[in-house]
Amino acid sequence: MQSQRRPNLIGCLATRSLLVALLSVASAGLAAGAASPLPPLVDPASQEHHVGKVVFVELVTPDLAAAKQFYGGLFGWTFRDIRSGNTEYAAASLDGRAVAGLIHKEFSTGEHHQPAWLTVIAVRDVDSTRDLAVQHGAKVLFAPRSVPDRGREAVLADPQGAVFAVLTSTSGDPPDVLAAPGEWIWSSLITRDPDADAAFYQTLFDYEVFDLPAVEGAQHLLLATDNYARASANSWPASNPTVHPHWLNYVRVEDADESAKKAVALGGRILVEPRVDRHGGKIAVIADPAGAAFGLLEWSDTQSKEVTQ
Amino acid sequence: MNRLTWRWVPATIVIGLFASLSSGCIATGGGYGYDGNVGLGLGYYEPAGVVYGGWGGGYRVAPFRGGDHRAGPSGGHAYRSAPASRSAPSIPSRSRGGNSRGGDSRSH
Repeated sequence: MQSQRRPNLIGCLATRSLLVALLSVASAGLAAGAASPLPPLVDPASQEHHVGKVVFVELVTPDLAAAKQFYGGLFGWTFRDIRSGNTEYAAASLDGRAVAGLIHKEFSTGEHHQPAWLTVIAVRDVDSTRDLAVQHGAKVLFAPRSVPDRGREAVLADPQGAVFAVLTSTSGDPPDVLAAPGEWIWSSLITRDPDADAAFYQTLFDYEVFDLPAVEGAQHLLLATDNYARASANSWPASNPTVHPHWLNYVRVEDADESAKKAVALGGRILVEPRVDRHGGKIAVIADPAGAAFGLLEWSDTQSKEVTQ
Repeated sequence: MNRLTWRWVPATIVIGLFASLSSGCIATGGGYGYDGNVGLGLGYYEPAGVVYGGWGGGYRVAPFRGGDHRAGPSGGHAYRSAPASRSAPSIPSRSRGGNSRGGDSRSH
């Protein structure tokens, strides 16, 4: 009698084990794909909306720990780790304000890609912006989707290939105030044809476009909304015509030379040595330890304290 | 009972596989480093080829402090140029909790 019941018992246990394993796989898969809450862009939420403003940046990096150490050491950012499934995300903040998101993603050296900061621009309606962008030659790299507590976002490549994201933040957009040292202060689109790209982004964000004095053969266009400069569109340096069109974002620093040295000490590289730019603002371009490029901008808070060459 | 349990095994396998596979399905952008496995945020690796250098002395990227710009002739650009009467604005100058000075260095 017992020998007849034993196979049934073993079969039942095996079945239960299989069911548990399958349910674990299914739930793990769902957890990995489900969107976990990211920190809101603005906390407490505001009613401000600034279409065309660069409101956030995100970095994808193959070494999250190294990135946290680098940016924390350089700018004083602190991080809150968020894990969803197999994804590690570090929400960076400065004095309690969200400044960036860092995402871990494996990277194989054989890939024809490199780590980069993704520029996120505010829009009223992500889906209609996507449609408009596509009508004017953009590619959709990441279809619009809603992220809990963050908003609705999409990633696009402009007609010349520069990649950017658009976001309708559910918590409003950050206020128009002067960035503190350690916060993002400026963005430049470096592209083959600033004239055509300015027209593209003007269509999307209703930018006012100002043609600023530039050296012979170069263009420096200022893109503005709400009576504030939001970004520039620049032709790439004439002596370096092979660069891929891209957005470059700058963090405000008190001393560009010192920050550049500190970046090197923390494992970064200087791509463009500190140099005086327009109106005394001092610029440097740095690569973090994984190679992602960003700018430093030394910017005085009063016009009477401009940096001198 | 035993037979009933075994009937559930194929169904569970199908449901499990469907759930696992569908959770990884997102829009992809071939050539731009999206592989659908990020799950949080926007997984993005830039195409290789962003090279720096050659920023000569006259190469300018920084914000403006406000002032005149070169209003192009009508139809001379792909974009609509701001009128010459508008002075180019600067970045926000108001500090948190401070007074607003506006984005334009000139009063209108």
